[in-house]
Amino acid sequence: MQVRQVVGSLTFRYIAKYVVVLSASVFVLQLVFYGLYSSSYFRQLSASIVEELETLQVVYRGQSLEGVAQYIDDQRMRPSVRRFYYLVTAPDGNKVAGDLPHHPRYREFNQGWLGFQMAMLSWGKEVDVDFLARPLSLGDGYQAIVARNYQDVLERTTLVIETLFRSMIATVILGVVAGFLSASRSLAQIERLNVELSRIIRSNPQARLDTTGEKGYFREQAVIINDMLDQMESLMQGVRNVSDNIAHDLRTPLTRMRNRLSHLRASLPEQEKAQVGELLEECDDLLATFNALLRISTLEYGGQTGVDSEVQLSQLLEDVIELYEPLANDKQIQLSASIAPGQTCRGEADLLFQMFANLLDNAIKYTPEQGRISVSLGAAEPGSRHTVIFGDSGPGIPAAERKNVFRRFYRLESSRGEQPGNGLGLSLAQAIARRHGGTLELGSNNPGLRVWVDLP
Amino acid sequence: MIVLLVEDDPSVGEFIVAELGAAGHRCEHVGDGIEGLERAQQGEFDVLIIDRMLPGLDGISLVKQLRASDRQTPVLFLSALGAVDDRVQGLQSGGDDYLVKPFSPEELLARLEALCRRSVAADTPLRLEVADLRMDLLTQEVSRAGQAINLQPREYKLLEYLMRNAGQVVTRAMLLEQVWGYHFDPQTNVIDVHISRLRQKLDRDFDRALLHTVRGAGYRLGPPSAEEP
Repeated sequence: MQVRQVVGSLTFRYIAKYVVVLSASVFVLQLVFYGLYSSSYFRQLSASIVEELETLQVVYRGQSLEGVAQYIDDQRMRPSVRRFYYLVTAPDGNKVAGDLPHHPRYREFNQGWLGFQMAMLSWGKEVDVDFLARPLSLGDGYQAIVARNYQDVLERTTLVIETLFRSMIATVILGVVAGFLSASRSLAQIERLNVELSRIIRSNPQARLDTTGEKGYFREQAVIINDMLDQMESLMQGVRNVSDNIAHDLRTPLTRMRNRLSHLRASLPEQEKAQVGELLEECDDLLATFNALLRISTLEYGGQTGVDSEVQLSQLLEDVIELYEPLANDKQIQLSASIAPGQTCRGEADLLFQMFANLLDNAIKYTPEQGRISVSLGAAEPGSRHTVIFGDSGPGIPAAERKNVFRRFYRLESSRGEQPGNGLGLSLAQAIARRHGGTLELGSNNPGLRVWVDLP
Repeated sequence: MIVLLVEDDPSVGEFIVAELGAAGHRCEHVGDGIEGLERAQQGEFDVLIIDRMLPGLDGISLVKQLRASDRQTPVLFLSALGAVDDRVQGLQSGGDDYLVKPFSPEELLARLEALCRRSVAADTPLRLEVADLRMDLLTQEVSRAGQAINLQPREYKLLEYLMRNAGQVVTRAMLLEQVWGYHFDPQTNVIDVHISRLRQKLDRDFDRALLHTVRGAGYRLGPPSAEEP
């Protein structure tokens, strides 16, 4: 099974889409949560700054500037991360208290809020830390600024974003891998189903899918397919029985009629014999058609339980050619054969002979005088398949008709009435090829007809 | 020719008895397998016609038991089963020929006569002769009235078979089976073409034709008979 096949499968595409949508929606959800969380954090932060400013104001009112300086000094004893930073300036702009540098570069936010960066020691390193600050006029020209850093929030932001990103990637990778695995599993099941089904269709219409080996939906599907095959078989059986019975039941009275005609002819005067002779021949043709029809049925539905022995394929083909050569010579057809010696296959010699005879007979029939026919059999590696090719320089068969000519009694419009035959030759040849586990294919010989017989 | 027919279908039985009688042969008809085996073992028949499906004892077992008791009377199987493996099975069990129902009386007669002749001419002759036609089986030379005839290998085999069955009707199916070695149904007159080539070589330079076509049946090699033109 190829990777491309798995990736292109419906299951995989479904799972991939699912993974993408799922991780995107999880991402959006986390983003929303994070936004809510950080906005509430900033609300708390700013509220605490406003509160601290109010405290400063109260301290200033009660204890004047010294009280404020004292208060600020006390605050510096608290742990650094969560504490406030202060700057109190005199009316002339000079710093009178606080631990912020005199002139940090402020960015103005709206509604009187300020933001700035200040270098701070963190874990022994100096880093720029973001601060949120708010100025307030204490009175008498004194200005106070209270600031608080929100580095921890920023750090948490980065952490959360990184975590989000990593978990997204992990989700996608895991999802794709899981999708690949489950798609290849279901594909393997489908493939097994396909192989079994085509085997049933090709060689053994009586066989059924193994439902015990499948699970879940596949078992259900296998059961349904088996029911379908059962129905098909019984329908086919019905049709076959009817047609076989017709052929079979008509054969006996027809033979009786033929034999009576034969007696009649013997008792007739010489000049009337010819007419009855023609009737006799017609009877024989009809009987031959019935026989061919019954043979095709037997071959098609008899399974593959015939006599199976080693057949000298090369010799057999040469025998067929030798038998038909005089027919070709009569039409001055150039019959050329290129047959690799010593090729063998398994099967029934009489049937294979019949098949090749039908094909060669057709070729001779449809090739015009002084045309060409070629028969070839290549040397096959031991264990590989044989291909026998018949090519002729006749009118060929249009591509659209190539499937139809295998149907029983089907004859091309152009050959009707022109050539003798019952329209069963190719059906019989195909039934024989199939019984041997082979195929029969038609193509163009540029110009003419080319027939490939593929045998195991 | 004395024939034993073991066949349970009365209409087919009557038909065969009548046909053989008309051709001047004696035919005894038995309807079941066990009785058939008893009669066959008494061994006064030239050829046996045995149906594959019989009450009591089926045709294949009958012939196997017959052969086991060392009776070599030639056997022709009759069967409604036309598949190839049935035919091979029949021949492997000890049958000498196989004919699928329905068949023409000409085909049956021709095959019976060929079977009888084969069992009579068990010794291998060095030379075959029909009228002024001679075939030397050692040197593979063929001549007519002293004039050498040059034959292809297959034509030689064809002629040999016809000469061994000289005077009797040989059907196309028999020729395909015996000369070409395949049992199949040719769609066209391919045998006729081979025969006409052989006829060219045999009869062209002579007034008296030896190779005759028997309408509705097959061919016959020999001097012309009264009813054939």
